Amino acid sequence: MSFPSQDRRADEKLGRILGRVGSVRTRLNSLALQHAIFYTLAIAIAGGAAVFAGAYLLSPLAFLAGASALAIIGCAGIARAVGAAWRMRASAVRAAAIADERGELKGRLSTIVALANHQTSGSLWAYLVEDTLGHQDQFAAARIERRRVSRAIYPLAAAFVLAALAIPISKMKHAPRIAQGSGQDELTVDLDDLHLRPADSGDESGMQVTADAATMRRLEDRLAREGAAGGEAGGNSLNQLVNRARDMAGHLQSKLTGQQAASKQRLNLRLADAGGDQDQKEIHRAPETQKNRHSDVAGQFKQDQPKSNREIDLPREDDSRRPNSEPSPRGYGEPGAQADSGTDNPGNQDNRATDRKIQQGAENGGNGGAAHGIGADPDSLFGAPAAPTLGSEGFQIAIEARPVDHGAKGAGHAYVAPKVRTPLSLNQEPDEPVARAAVPAEDRTTIKRVFER
Amino acid sequence: MSDVQAETPTVADFARTFRRIQAEIHKLIIGHEQAVEELLSALFAGGHVLIEGVPGTGKTTLVKTLGLALNLSFNRIQFTVDLMPADITGTRVILSGDDGRREFTFQPGPVFCHILLGDEINRATPKTQSALLEAMAELQVTVSGTTYRLKPPYFVMATLNPIEMEGTYPLPEAQLDRFLFKVRLNYPDEGELTRIISSTTGPEEAGIEAVFHATEAAERIEALKRLVREVMAAPAMETYAARLVRATQPQNSRFVSDEARAVHDEMVNRYVMFGSSPRGAQALILGGKVRALLDGRANIAREDIEHVAVAALAHRIMLNYAALSDGIDAAHIVERVIKSVRAGKL
Repeated sequence: MSFPSQDRRADEKLGRILGRVGSVRTRLNSLALQHAIFYTLAIAIAGGAAVFAGAYLLSPLAFLAGASALAIIGCAGIARAVGAAWRMRASAVRAAAIADERGELKGRLSTIVALANHQTSGSLWAYLVEDTLGHQDQFAAARIERRRVSRAIYPLAAAFVLAALAIPISKMKHAPRIAQGSGQDELTVDLDDLHLRPADSGDESGMQVTADAATMRRLEDRLAREGAAGGEAGGNSLNQLVNRARDMAGHLQSKLTGQQAASKQRLNLRLADAGGDQDQKEIHRAPETQKNRHSDVAGQFKQDQPKSNREIDLPREDDSRRPNSEPSPRGYGEPGAQADSGTDNPGNQDNRATDRKIQQGAENGGNGGAAHGIGADPDSLFGAPAAPTLGSEGFQIAIEARPVDHGAKGAGHAYVAPKVRTPLSLNQEPDEPVARAAVPAEDRTTIKRVFER
Repeated sequence: MSDVQAETPTVADFARTFRRIQAEIHKLIIGHEQAVEELLSALFAGGHVLIEGVPGTGKTTLVKTLGLALNLSFNRIQFTVDLMPADITGTRVILSGDDGRREFTFQPGPVFCHILLGDEINRATPKTQSALLEAMAELQVTVSGTTYRLKPPYFVMATLNPIEMEGTYPLPEAQLDRFLFKVRLNYPDEGELTRIISSTTGPEEAGIEAVFHATEAAERIEALKRLVREVMAAPAMETYAARLVRATQPQNSRFVSDEARAVHDEMVNRYVMFGSSPRGAQALILGGKVRALLDGRANIAREDIEHVAVAALAHRIMLNYAALSDGIDAAHIVERVIKSVRAGKL
């Protein structure tokens, strides 16, 4: 038989034990919560830093793929971290079990917590409470779990370091093509090698192109052909998807890198010459003051001098394409050559000295199509020719100039393997043309029918 | 009421009494510390013990010494092939009274005692062996339709000789299951053997001092047994014992429910024909409670259960021929199961 005062003391002792178990539980749950928060932050920060750095380092498609993969991995990692934290959480029974194990209490706390609400009338219950209270130093919260801060703080710190590293990476890679382009006053590409498409309606970005009427007509033809080809290719949903993905990734990259404003600046390109070899079209970047001037080299556009650091996706080519570099000594009409003088533009001579020309290499020869991807965005010729001054000697057209993937990678001229003649062996004989023979009269009708079909 | 409280032993009383009985037994029994502890644990847990050991390892001496130390009535039955059930339980015989009238009178057999030693129990026929079942399980004997109660404490210790198996009758599973523990007596090591020689070949024999007075021995032991039952087992410990028992049950057994089939161990599936019965879980908890009291605790811990697991489960696991051919014994299976369950594999 027990007295009320004894019962009260027993309850107080039990309360002290349960209170200690509760403090252990609080600390364990705090660590679990920290685990979830820190890991989530670490994954988000590290992923964000990686995406930020990738925006500078990767081409749009690679950036899109990488960012998507990072997003998936990040989501999985966060889910895993939250799941782990959920499993780490401690109920009172689990906290008691952990305290039993770490405090070497041999199940005392587990028994008390489990039976506190069910069985207190046993003859050994008071003994168990008293015995457990005698070991109270062994299950102090600080002893059971010394850490107040989860070890997940280390991944979080690492994520911060990673984020800090992404900043210098972005600074190193920020200026690249734009800074280089800022000093350029002329951009030369092969018109035939460009993939042109009209700019989206309402898209104010692009550059202005000036050219004479003949070249403008040719450009319009190109646009019409590309548009028709695009319409035919419209059935190819994969290409459309890829283009959309590239555009989306490019916009995202632009937003992340802060280069969107620069990409929207207008670049005034001018067609320098309307005559000459139609296969060797070049686009130049020229100062705006040289607008409406054109050289006598066919298909050569000049871009207006940008007013600020803007980015146009120019590959790093040889020195001949750098600003203030010496123009090519090759003559007019020569494949890949740049015009030295313009007959229609009296100020062209001065401009050539300062124009930066990106020129097709001589190895391309007559294959102008091999010189792809030099500087301008082939997918980004937007908008109809704005107020073309077709009656005059030139015109203007809005072209969106922004980095493209192959330009961002710094791709240069395509390599064309040189032709090498290998001498025949002793057992070989040179090919001989098949001798012409007259078509038999009875076959002529059949052949004619086949060809007519 | 105060008398009752005064007679209620405490945890310290239990541990002290237990250690004292141990010390008395070890005056004669050299070595076999674990076997003696398991023997006493089974006694205070209210179970019976099957002792297995080669000849000469002190099986009979151990049981006799226990009887002397506890100061309880002690009987011994040497099981032979021609032993009959009535030779164990007792029978009704015709006796002449003082007035010359003859009448059937029940003559109690050797089973009527506190401590019963069934020596080489596997030499008797199954019919005779099963005569012990009712006494062991229900503490009563029924002869000619009349039931006779046995006086508690009632403690049966049966010995098995693992060699000389010709002409023996292995105990049926049902009877094996009724033994709380199976205690194995191995050969003593060199030091123990030296001490055995010096203590048993001298002119003086070690005297065993009874721990209890004869009049109060039974009552004291019963009180200690009740104290064992008072030890608390958290639900987690009961779950752990249940998992251990379930883990001994092979997956391919048709007696295992679908739910239990999810719990399996490759070794168990390969070598075990039948796993432990639910009595095994009871033995784990009861043996664990004794261990907890000896450790001064009023609650059982996982270590307590694991400490008695081999003694409680090994004889309940029936191995197949693959285990015999591979030299796998039940103790090895139990140890494997403990590791698996503790690691959370199962």
